[in-house]
Amino acid sequence: MLRMITQRLATATLSLVILVTIVFFMTHATPGGPAFSILGQKATPAAVNALNQRLGLTAPLWLQYAIWWWHLLQGKLGYSYLLNRPVTQLIGDYMMNTLALYIGAILLALVLSIGLGLVQGVTYGRWPARLIGALQLSLYALPTFFVGTMFILYFGVKWPILPTGGISNLRIEHPGLLDYAHHLVLPILTVGLLGVAALSRYFGTSVHEELGKDYVRTALAKGLTFRAVLFRHVLRNALRPLVTILGLSFPGIFAGSVLVETVFNYPGLGYLLWRSALSQDYPVISAIVLLIGVLTVIGNLLADLVNGLLDPRERYE
Amino acid sequence: MSIVLELDHLSVALKRGRGKPIAVLDDINLTVNAGEMTALVGESGSGKTIASLGVIRLLPRSAEIAGQVLLAGTDLTRLTESEMRRVRGRDIGMVFQNPLSALNPTTRVGNQIAEVYRLHTGETDRAARARALDLLGEVGIPDPADRLDDYPHQFSGGMRQRVMIAMALACSPKLLIADEPTTGLDLLVARQILALLSRLRHEHRMGVLFITHDLSIVEEHADQVHVLYAGKSVEWGTSRSFFAQPRHPYSQALLAAVPRLGQRRLASIPGNLPDPETRPPGCRFAPRCAFREPACEIDYPAPDAVGGTVFACRRAREISPAAMLDAVLEQPAAPPVVSHEAVLEVTLLGVDYERTATSFLQGVLGRKDKMRALDDISFTLNQGECLGIVGQSGSGKSTLGRAVLQMIPYHGHVILKGEAFDAMSRGQRKRARRQIQVVFQDPKESMNPRMRIGDIVAEPLKFTGLRGQRARWAAAAALLDRVGLSDQMMNLFPGSVSGGQAQRIAIARALATNPGIIVLDEPTSSLDVSTQALLLNLLKDLARQDGLSYMLISHDIAAVSYMADRIAVLNGGQMVEYGTAQDVLARPRNAYTRELIAASPHFRSHHLGEPSETLTYHLSTAQPSAVQTATAQTKEFNP
Repeated sequence: MLRMITQRLATATLSLVILVTIVFFMTHATPGGPAFSILGQKATPAAVNALNQRLGLTAPLWLQYAIWWWHLLQGKLGYSYLLNRPVTQLIGDYMMNTLALYIGAILLALVLSIGLGLVQGVTYGRWPARLIGALQLSLYALPTFFVGTMFILYFGVKWPILPTGGISNLRIEHPGLLDYAHHLVLPILTVGLLGVAALSRYFGTSVHEELGKDYVRTALAKGLTFRAVLFRHVLRNALRPLVTILGLSFPGIFAGSVLVETVFNYPGLGYLLWRSALSQDYPVISAIVLLIGVLTVIGNLLADLVNGLLDPRERYE
Repeated sequence: MSIVLELDHLSVALKRGRGKPIAVLDDINLTVNAGEMTALVGESGSGKTIASLGVIRLLPRSAEIAGQVLLAGTDLTRLTESEMRRVRGRDIGMVFQNPLSALNPTTRVGNQIAEVYRLHTGETDRAARARALDLLGEVGIPDPADRLDDYPHQFSGGMRQRVMIAMALACSPKLLIADEPTTGLDLLVARQILALLSRLRHEHRMGVLFITHDLSIVEEHADQVHVLYAGKSVEWGTSRSFFAQPRHPYSQALLAAVPRLGQRRLASIPGNLPDPETRPPGCRFAPRCAFREPACEIDYPAPDAVGGTVFACRRAREISPAAMLDAVLEQPAAPPVVSHEAVLEVTLLGVDYERTATSFLQGVLGRKDKMRALDDISFTLNQGECLGIVGQSGSGKSTLGRAVLQMIPYHGHVILKGEAFDAMSRGQRKRARRQIQVVFQDPKESMNPRMRIGDIVAEPLKFTGLRGQRARWAAAAALLDRVGLSDQMMNLFPGSVSGGQAQRIAIARALATNPGIIVLDEPTSSLDVSTQALLLNLLKDLARQDGLSYMLISHDIAAVSYMADRIAVLNGGQMVEYGTAQDVLARPRNAYTRELIAASPHFRSHHLGEPSETLTYHLSTAQPSAVQTATAQTKEFNP
């Protein structure tokens, strides 16, 4: 297991180095350089020059790259052009909100997917499985913003039982955890439901495949009930592909959450990314892209480790 | 003697799709006695696995069962599902083929064994674990305490099958059903598993129903033999009388199709097994039988008994067994065109495998452990000869094939018709590689499932300079004809042909570039014995016609002895024995070779009917025809 972890860590580190490099060149290759973005297209050459001097953009590219790394390793991600605050400070709050949304949505998607997938895998080819399949397809076809908007219309406007935007009730002096959770319900439902569509389908297929394997016949020949075979033998084996898919779907979930957070006015990274993109706030954008990358790499690493726990053959022993 | 299992007129019908149920097993009567082994023998499609799953009632829901399955007097077909669950695992233990997939890959073997014991005895986890430990020891797993918490993939094939057996034994069942437990195992390991089953059934007074396609493997151990063909019993009786003189033409052919040391001809059965949908109304073997008469095709023959076996054949009484056998034995091919001109020389060949880095630091530094897979291999292959490469799995025999095919890096020299591959330019090497072709063990795996058979065979013809799609298609048809297949097959996809046909297609493809040498890597290991016999005979004929040279890689020294002029024995990457087939078989110098020879089925006189004469098998004679008689020959093989 230790060998597998060190190997996966090495790969993850390499991915991060490549990611950082891509992000650096992406931001430093903007047309005319960042100065134009900050000062506008009509800035005088003198003003551009002065700003470039201040931002250290006149140095050779390799030096800038080295300095970028040096700052990154110290946790310095620059200042937001727009808000003139350190990016790290700015992102901290938003990231916590996004993580709460992510984790909630993934847990919801997992629970629903495992339930639906088990039914689908066991009844494969019969009507319950077909019904679930149809449900998955229609869920998959629904655009995020549409689902979000519908939720707002029904649960916020028609039956006003859930808050439809923000992260806390502005009229309460010290909003507590309950209020926070209350605000999370609709965004989590929206992101989670969209995750269910794909994940439950993968899991259903996986359960069906595992049920056809020889060890299932062996387990039945021992005299176990079908239910025992399903939960003691099949479930664990069927989870492996689900975990892999989940690890790979982090960026996808995030892309979806840009829309969801915007619809719900939810102060998460997606929302911040959207706002920063509108105002060309490059240090913030690059920091967020970097962060998403880090989260994706960590997600994959976690998926590998969980798979290592589930399946001894993955452990390189 | 107490009867453990009795199948009384058991029939099973399965539904395929929406159609009517089709009888796959028809009126089987069979008994297994306590402490005895009954061998249920049949080739694929015979219904033998359906029979075993019918006994423990694990058939698909649509299956219709008629007749009785009596386990110690209780009719299992009348039990409710929950009563049946108490029988499974407690009264009946099951051992399946391919233990790697039959064991749960993500559960420790100790837990898998303990699970069944706990389920039926209600014992504590601790007691169940202790029982699992005892069982692992009993089935002969070394250091069982250390292996209890290992996973199935950490065991070798034979050890995995022992784990399966331990699991089946956990509740001391009255009956053990072993469904092809030795298929896919090396011969030496297979025999150890059989010996283990025999010991256990004596010690536990347990009945064993042993299901196999290979008659030769049960010869020593079975008490009763029951041969199935296309869902029907064709012959059954005590093992002693059956092996002394099988009476049914199919049993005879099946027995004579198994390659044995010292055998010069293999039986072959023309035609294919009928599909369950199109089974003939009369004797099901009639369309393939040389002795059929009109009455055979009208109704199923009534059972007849002579000399201890019962057989369903109306002509077995009148036709002498020797004549019957002679009809299925292929005539020996013309003597080989051996020119003593070396087409392939291999000198001091070695292959190193790089293991993946064992630590992070090693990975970063790019350092890798080297493992020697093959060492100091030298041999010569003459034109028209067959070189047999024999060894167990892991001996490096397939690696040797791949090195000769230039598919992996090696050191040492591979010299093709006087020119060493390592001295050639890239272009020369590319052209030279076409001279050596390959046929793999699993033919379907080696074909693109989305390509038509015609295209599969025609594809390599592009490299022969044959221009035009139509010309290549016609040439492919000619190649298929050479391997005995009709050109009607060309529009089919690999999924819709049988294993034997697929292997013929693979041979046709290998012949396309007109190679001098074909590497045959376990070409018949996944085939039924009668199909194997047909294929080996075909290969022999092809070699004689064209002066082809073969490198036959196999774990089955008997099959190799049937084909090879020279034999090389590999063990642990070393060539432990090399010489002419006669020398190696008659005077093996190496202990490992002797073990392999001892484990192989031998050619024995009674397999050919009444012994007409006894000959000492002259291994030094190059021309066996000199000592062959028209009907039956008897050869005593004395290693």
